[in-house]
Amino acid sequence: MSFSANAVTLTGARLEKTVAFLNGSGLRYEGGADFTVQITDEYGDILGTGSLCGNVLKYIAISPALRGEGGAVQIVSALVSEAYRRGITGLFLFTKPSNVDLFRGVGFFPIVETADACLMENSRNGIDRWLTTLQKGSGVQGAVVMNCNPFTIGHQYLIKTAAEQVDTLHVFVVSEDRSEFPFADRLEMVKRGTAGISNIIIHPSGMYMISHATFPTYFLKESADANTVNATLDATLFGKRIACKLGITRRFVGTEPFCEVTRRYNACLKQVLPPLGVEVIEIPRIGGISASRARELLKQGTRKELAGMLPESTLKYIEEEMKCVRL
Amino acid sequence: MEIISTGVAGTMESSDIIVRIEPKDTEGIELTLESAVMQQYGKQIKKVIVETLEGLGVTRAYVDAVDKGALDCTVAARTLAAAYRGAQSTDFVWDGGAEK
Repeated sequence: MSFSANAVTLTGARLEKTVAFLNGSGLRYEGGADFTVQITDEYGDILGTGSLCGNVLKYIAISPALRGEGGAVQIVSALVSEAYRRGITGLFLFTKPSNVDLFRGVGFFPIVETADACLMENSRNGIDRWLTTLQKGSGVQGAVVMNCNPFTIGHQYLIKTAAEQVDTLHVFVVSEDRSEFPFADRLEMVKRGTAGISNIIIHPSGMYMISHATFPTYFLKESADANTVNATLDATLFGKRIACKLGITRRFVGTEPFCEVTRRYNACLKQVLPPLGVEVIEIPRIGGISASRARELLKQGTRKELAGMLPESTLKYIEEEMKCVRL
Repeated sequence: MEIISTGVAGTMESSDIIVRIEPKDTEGIELTLESAVMQQYGKQIKKVIVETLEGLGVTRAYVDAVDKGALDCTVAARTLAAAYRGAQSTDFVWDGGAEK
């Protein structure tokens, strides 16, 4: 059989056909495809499809007729070439565990596998190489992973309280730039707001924690159907590949009264991490403090109201360094 | 030659090889190879890649290669191209071409 994978634009009828084809393969289209290639028959019906979403290969499905004919290899090969052409070289791929062998043949290696999903990357030790670049702690070590959009009194309290319970606290600030406050600013606000705490190490969370590869629904908070939130992969990855390598035995989270996605994420961490040797400690949140409320106040609140929500360091940072930012 | 950024060359088409080279802080070349003919030619392919890099004076690099049955000359050519790209160098020294 001869066929080729061609670039298509996912709009109108083509998008509808693609969504239907993916549904037929048990995949849900959640948007975000930057580049898509498809193998089609002479009527334009889809025999195979795959997309590039940033540096993640997603929505890869092949009709049964094409399996074993190299269709998936063609699609992945076309996506990888395009990614390299765009200068994106660290690639991730999301698939079902049953397809792992297929993608190994095109240079992808499993990072972590759960009952229904596997995350792969195009480097055998990518995650371990990344871990070696992180500053190490000592003694009893804990971790928090937070977005800090922006850094509030609540975040400050969580870090301070957690730091008192361990020798080293690793603070991972979500690297993904999908929030109102850019990563560089969030990182700086965390640094300034925790300057007095000596036993913490602040890291960017990178691709392996709460990223669009490990936990895409986190970034679809507003639109996500809570039942589809699958944080197991992210939690398992943290337990199996990160915590043990860094010597982290405690993961701290804040109680979550508002956001359903975060609440489910916390519940998932509690289920997945303890068997992997990581205790999950929930720290009660200070009443009424939330980053989303702070963002509202930044639009139409007074400085006094904000001062009850944000530490002085964050207020100063927003006023002095981010003058141009309109929220 | 020093690898200062990620360099990629090649494709996943049959009879080709795709070589990705990345900077490494410590001495040594750390190579991973995925090949359809690993059992038959795995050692030979690795040898060609390592010797090609040695010829360029590359001593520190991570190299990931996915081979689809490339001949030695293709393996060497793709490795060379990836290394030059990773070193951001266009200072090519070809060893074929002109007769001495």
